[in-house]
Amino acid sequence: MNHPKITFLLLLVCSAGTIPVANAQEAAIPLEAAKAQGRLKSRFLKEPGPAVKATDDTPKANVAFFQESVGPILKKCCLACHGPEKSEGRLRIDQLNPDLLTGPDVERWREVFNALSKSEMPPEDAPDFALADADRGRIVDWLSEELNTASVVRRSSKQHSSFRRLTKYEYNYALQDLLGLPWSLANSLPPETASEDGFKNSSELLQMSVMQFESYREIGLKALKRATVIGERPQPVTYIISMQDEMEKAIAKADAKDADKSQKKPKRPRSQAQLLNRETGESFPFAEVKIMPRSEVLPVQGANDQPTQDIASTPITPPGSGVLALPRSNELKLDLDRFLPDEGTMRVRIRAGRSTMNPDEYASLRLIFSAHTSNNANFSQVVSERDIPVTASADDPQFIHFDIPLGDIQRNPFRKLTTTFPRRDEFLHIHNVSNASGGEEPLQVLIDTIEISAPFYEQWPPKTHTDIFFESDNKADEQIYGREILNQFLRRVWRRPASSQEVDQFMALFAKYRPGFSTFEEAMVEVLATALATPEFLYLTQRATTDETKSPTKISELELASRLSVFLWSSIPDDELLKLAEQDSLRKPGVLAAQVNRMLADTRARRFSQNFVEQWLGLDRMSSVTHVTDDSLREAMLLEPVAYFDEVLTHNHSVMEFIHSDYALVNERMARHYGIPKVFGPQFRKVEVTPQMNRGGLLTSAAIMTMNSDGKDSHPLKRGVWMLKRILDDPPPPPPPNVPEVDLTDPEILKMTLKERIANHRNKPACISCHSRIDPWGIAFENYDALGAFRTQIKNQPVDATSVLFNRQTLAGIDGLKRYLLTDRQDQFARAIVHKLTAYAVGRPLSFGDRADIDNLTGQFRRRDDGLGDLVHLIVNSNLFNSK
Amino acid sequence: MNNKSFFLSRRAFLQGTGVALALPWFETFVAGSPGKDETPKRFVSIYHPDGVGLPLKSDPAWEDWSWFPRGGESDFKLTKVLDVLEPLRNDITIYSGLSHPAARNVHGHSNADQYLTGAPVGGHGPYQNSISLDQVYAEHAGDFTRHSSLVLSTNGGVGGPRGAQTQSFNREGRPIPAMNKPKQIFDMLFVTSGKDAAERLARSKSALDLLIENTRSLSRQLSSRDQETLKQYLDAVRDTELKLAKAQKWIDTPVPQVDTKNLHLDAEPKEARLYFQTMYELIYLSFLSDSTRAVTFQLGRENGEGPHDLLSLAVGLGGAHGLTHEVKKPGGWQNLGTYNRYQAEEFGRFAQRLKDTPEPTGKGNMLDNTFAMHGSASSSFHLSRNYPIISAGGKNLGFTNGRYLKFGKGNEDNQAGAGIDTDAGWTAKMEVEELALSKLFVTILQRLGVETDSFGGQTGTLGRV
Repeated sequence: MNHPKITFLLLLVCSAGTIPVANAQEAAIPLEAAKAQGRLKSRFLKEPGPAVKATDDTPKANVAFFQESVGPILKKCCLACHGPEKSEGRLRIDQLNPDLLTGPDVERWREVFNALSKSEMPPEDAPDFALADADRGRIVDWLSEELNTASVVRRSSKQHSSFRRLTKYEYNYALQDLLGLPWSLANSLPPETASEDGFKNSSELLQMSVMQFESYREIGLKALKRATVIGERPQPVTYIISMQDEMEKAIAKADAKDADKSQKKPKRPRSQAQLLNRETGESFPFAEVKIMPRSEVLPVQGANDQPTQDIASTPITPPGSGVLALPRSNELKLDLDRFLPDEGTMRVRIRAGRSTMNPDEYASLRLIFSAHTSNNANFSQVVSERDIPVTASADDPQFIHFDIPLGDIQRNPFRKLTTTFPRRDEFLHIHNVSNASGGEEPLQVLIDTIEISAPFYEQWPPKTHTDIFFESDNKADEQIYGREILNQFLRRVWRRPASSQEVDQFMALFAKYRPGFSTFEEAMVEVLATALATPEFLYLTQRATTDETKSPTKISELELASRLSVFLWSSIPDDELLKLAEQDSLRKPGVLAAQVNRMLADTRARRFSQNFVEQWLGLDRMSSVTHVTDDSLREAMLLEPVAYFDEVLTHNHSVMEFIHSDYALVNERMARHYGIPKVFGPQFRKVEVTPQMNRGGLLTSAAIMTMNSDGKDSHPLKRGVWMLKRILDDPPPPPPPNVPEVDLTDPEILKMTLKERIANHRNKPACISCHSRIDPWGIAFENYDALGAFRTQIKNQPVDATSVLFNRQTLAGIDGLKRYLLTDRQDQFARAIVHKLTAYAVGRPLSFGDRADIDNLTGQFRRRDDGLGDLVHLIVNSNLFNSK
Repeated sequence: MNNKSFFLSRRAFLQGTGVALALPWFETFVAGSPGKDETPKRFVSIYHPDGVGLPLKSDPAWEDWSWFPRGGESDFKLTKVLDVLEPLRNDITIYSGLSHPAARNVHGHSNADQYLTGAPVGGHGPYQNSISLDQVYAEHAGDFTRHSSLVLSTNGGVGGPRGAQTQSFNREGRPIPAMNKPKQIFDMLFVTSGKDAAERLARSKSALDLLIENTRSLSRQLSSRDQETLKQYLDAVRDTELKLAKAQKWIDTPVPQVDTKNLHLDAEPKEARLYFQTMYELIYLSFLSDSTRAVTFQLGRENGEGPHDLLSLAVGLGGAHGLTHEVKKPGGWQNLGTYNRYQAEEFGRFAQRLKDTPEPTGKGNMLDNTFAMHGSASSSFHLSRNYPIISAGGKNLGFTNGRYLKFGKGNEDNQAGAGIDTDAGWTAKMEVEELALSKLFVTILQRLGVETDSFGGQTGTLGRV
C-alpha cells in the first residue's frame, strides 16, 4: 500500500521544475465575451464533414495521402525527437503503422492527434521544428478522418456490453420504488468499485459473488416482510406530551416549594430550553422529561376497518398558552423508558411554530435516538433522514412528522432486562437546528404537543401490503389469486410482462411452500422473494433478437424503458413508462421526448443529478478528507455541485456554465464560507456573484478544492490531474515504471526544502514530460486554499497562481484558466461532458469504437448551444443508447 | 432476544428461504482449503474485562501482585498472579506492550467491543464495529465443521454498543449473540435434531432450482458475450447449491457422542467455579469432537454487573469489577491479583486438558494444534493500553512458547499507568510507545492458514512471535 504514495510524492517533487516563469500578459476580455469568442472556434460547428456511415463496403485506409503528404511533414518536424536518435515519450513516429483501420497503432495515433490539435507539439522552444499552420491542418484533418473511419470499422467488434448488474444504489432504489418502502434497504451489500472514468455503473466492474447473491436473497425477503403484514392491526404504544400539562405540573411543583415564599422568579436566559407561558411570560427550565405510554387502550381495529383511532386522528386540544420554547441548538430529551416495540414505524408528530417570522432566520427539527449502555459509555445517532423546517407561526402552528423504522436503528439492547442496570431506557431527542443567534429576539421553535406512536400505520392493511395483495374477486381461490399476484409482481420486477409458463414455475414453487405456512400471504412472500433474486431483476438485460424484422443491434422498447429509468431515476420504470413500452409506443414521435421531460421533472431525477455528479467529479474522495472538521460545512460542500448541476439541467443552460457563470448555488453555510452575504437557511439557491467573489461555475467548488488538497494546503498536482481526468477527459498517463524514488532516508535530501528537492529533480526527463502537462492546470487554482476559500496571500507572500501550459499558453490564475478554456477549449470540454454523460447513460466504458458516435453527438450538442437538458435528450435518442 | 441463544435467535430470525444460508455452519466455503481429515487448526480467545493489577514499584504489593512477569524473554519470573501457570511454562507466551491504537484514548469501559476487532469504536455517538479475529478464521475454516464458530459469554446476548457481551462481530461489524447457558450450548453441540433446518433447506433448494432454470432460459436469449456475464450469476447460484448440499450433509450426520461426566449443565454463574469449569469443558468438547474450530468466550462485561461479577465468588471475593476500584484499600492489590490468578488457573486447567489429550489424527497433542489466547483490553484501571495477554499452545502452527515478549519502547518495566485508580490516570498523556495488537492477529491468522497481510486497518505481522 505504500508504493503509490511514494510515487505520488515523487511526482510532486519532479513536477514544479518545469513551470516556466510567468509572463503577465494580454488585456483580459470578460469571461462572457470569451464564451462567445470561443464558440466561433468550434470544429464541431464548422461545415459538418462527410458523415461516415457504417455500410457494407469495407472502408479503406487512406495510406496514399499519408505517404504523399503527411509522412514527409512528420519526418521534418518530429523525427529528431521521436525517431531512431531520440524517442521522447517512448514514441517512434517512423514506426507507427499509417493504416489506422487495421494497424495496431490507433491508440498512439490518437495521442499524436491530441498533441497536434492542442498545439502542444512540436514544443514552442524548438523553433527549428516549428509546424506551419497549413501543415498542422493537413495532418490533423487526415488523422481526424482516419480515426473516425477506424472507429466505425472497429465498432462492430467492440468489447463492452451494456448488459450489467444493477449497482448497489440502483438496486436499493429499485426495491424502494417496487415495494413503496422509503428506507435504505441494501446497506449490507458491498460497495461498488469505480471505473477509470469514475463510474460505478460500469458493466465490466459489476461482479457477482456467492456472498452477494445470498445478500440479495436475504434483503429481498426482509424487504417483502416489511412491506406486508399478517393478521390484525397491532395495538400501538402511544406517548403524548402536552406542554400545557407540563406547565401546570411545573407550576404546582414550584408552588409547593415556594409555598411560604412569594419571590418573583428570576428571568431565565432565552438561550435555554424552557416551558413558557406565552401570555404571562412565566417560564421553567425544561430540557429532559420522562414520559410513559398512555394507558387508555385504543379500540382494536379489524383488518378491513377504516383507520379511526391512531394518533393522526386523535383529537388534540387547541394550543394552550403553555409551550416548550426551544432555542437554536437546544433539545428536549424524552425518556421513553423501555416500551417501544422492536419493529415497525415510529411516528413522531410534533405541533410547532416559530416565535418570530424574520425571513432571514430559519429553524428545523431533527431527531436523535440514544441510550446509556454503561456509566461511561453511551451511543446516540441522528435517526431522522433530514431536518424538517418549521415554517408556521406559533399562533397558527403546523404539524411536523417523522417516521422512524424501529427495526433498523440502533436500539438499547438492555431494554428487556429484568434488572435495572445497565439502564433500560431509550431516549428521543428533539433538536432545533437553526441559524438564529443574534438580535433582540432570536427565533425559537415553540412546541405545544408531541405524540409518539409505534407501530404506526396510515391505514390497515398498509398500502405497501395492498399493492402486492390487492383486492380481487378471486381472493378465495389461491390458485387464481396467486397467478394474479404473480402476473402483476413479475411485470414490475422484470419490467416486462411474464409469460404464463413463467408464472407456472412460480406457482409450482408456491405449491411446494404452501404446506409449510399457515397463511397464503406468508407462503407467497417467500415465492416473491425468489422473484427478487432472479437475474432479470438484478441485471439490466438486452435480449438477442430472433425477430427478423427488427434491427439486430437495437434494443427493444421494454429494454429502452429500463435503460431510461436506470439512467434518469437510478431505478425501475414506473407504470406509465412500462405501458408505453408494452404498446410499442415509446419511440413514437414526441412520446420519448415527453417521457424524458416527465422523468426529469420527477423527484426521482434528483438521484440522477446526485449519482452522476458524485461519480463524474469523484466526490467520493471527500469521505477520506480529514481536515474538514465542521460537519455542516462538509455536508454543504457535497451538496453544492449537485445543486449546481441540477440548476443547469433544469433550465437547460449551456454546460459552459460549469466553467464559469455569474451565479453560484449556495446555502447559508456555503455562502458564509465563500463570503457571499445575506444568504439564510439550509436550502441551496441561485445567487448572483460579482467578480470580486471569485466564484461561479463548478471548478472552484469548495468540495473539489478540498478533496484535491493535502489536508493542510492546496495540492496543485492533484488539482491538475483532476482537471485533466474529470473536466477535459484527457487523463495523464500513469507514472512510468522507472521513475526513480525519492530517497527520503537520505539525510541530504531530508535537509532540503521542498523547492530544493524540486530543483534536485529538475532534470529527470521521466517526470518533466508529464508534469509539464499536469501542474500548470493545478497551479492556476493556487488562490484557493485547502478548504477552497479564496486567498491572496500565502504566508504573507502574494499568491502566484500564474502558470504556463505545455503549449506556452499562459494561465493567469483561475480567471486566466477559465478564459483559456472558454476561448480555446470549448470543443474539448463539450466532448468530455458528452463522453462522461454517455458512459454513465449506457453503463459501460466507451472505447475507440464509440468515438465516431461521440463526435457525432458532440456536433449535435454544440449546434444546440450546449444545453445540458438537450444533451440528455440527444443521448436518449442516440445510437449508442439504443444499441445493444 | 437478549438472553436467547445464538442458535435460537438466528433461527427465529431466518425463517423461510433466505435462511439456512446464514446459519453458522454454512458460511463461506473455501475451495482448496484443508479437508476434514487433516489435523484441525483451532483458535480460542478468552476475554476478561477490567484489566489486571499493576501497582507501582514503590508499593509493597508490587513484588507479589503485579500481573506482568519480571526478567527477560526466557528467564522471566512469574509473580504470584500467574505462578499457577508455572507447570505450563514451556507451553505459554506472555505479551506486553501491545494495544489497539484506535482505543488507546478511550475509556476502558468500552473495551470489550474492540479487543478482537481493533475498530475505532470510540466512547460516544454513532457506533460502527468491524469483523473480529475469530470470524475471519471462521470464514476460512468454518466449512469443515458443523458450526463455523462458537460464541460464548457469561452474560450472553450481544450487550450494547460499547457494552459488548460478545467478542464476535461479523463482516458488517454487527455483534454475534453469545450463548451463556451450558445446557443450551450442550444441546446445540450434541443434541440438536435439525428438523427445522431441514425444512428450510428444502425450501431453499426449490428456490435455487427455479432460479437456475430461469437463468438458463434467459441465457439462451442473450449474446454470447452477455452469456459470459450471466455465467457469474449462475456460478453464484451453483455455489450456493453446493453450500446447501454440505449443510444437508451436516443435518444428515449424527451429532457426536461425548463423555458427559465432567459436565454440570445446570451450573449457574453464582456457582462460580463449577460454571466456569463447565464452560471451559464445553469448549474442550467442541474441539475434541471437531464441532468447531473458532471459539470466543467473554467473561461478563466491562463495568461489572451481571453474572460475571459473581465469578470472583470462587475465590471468596466480592464483585469482580469492584476489585479494580478498591486496589488502594488494605489488601486491595492482593484481592485483584488473587482474582486474576484464579482466571489464569482456570485457563491453565483448560490448556493442560488440551495438552493431555492426544490429537485424534495422531499429530501431537491437542494443545499443539490450538492457539489459545487469554487477555483483556485494559491493563491498569480503565487504561486501554499494554493489554495483559497470555497465549498457550500452537506449537504445530509455528509458535515458540516459554517466552515473555515485551514490545514497544519506554515501558520495559510495565510501570506506565501503574498504580492508578482514578480516571485521571487513563486520560493522562502517555509517552510510551506500543505496537498494534492487530499485527499479532495477522501473525495468528497466517499461521492458521488464512492468506492475509492485514487486520483491523493494520498491515504486517509482529516480529519475534
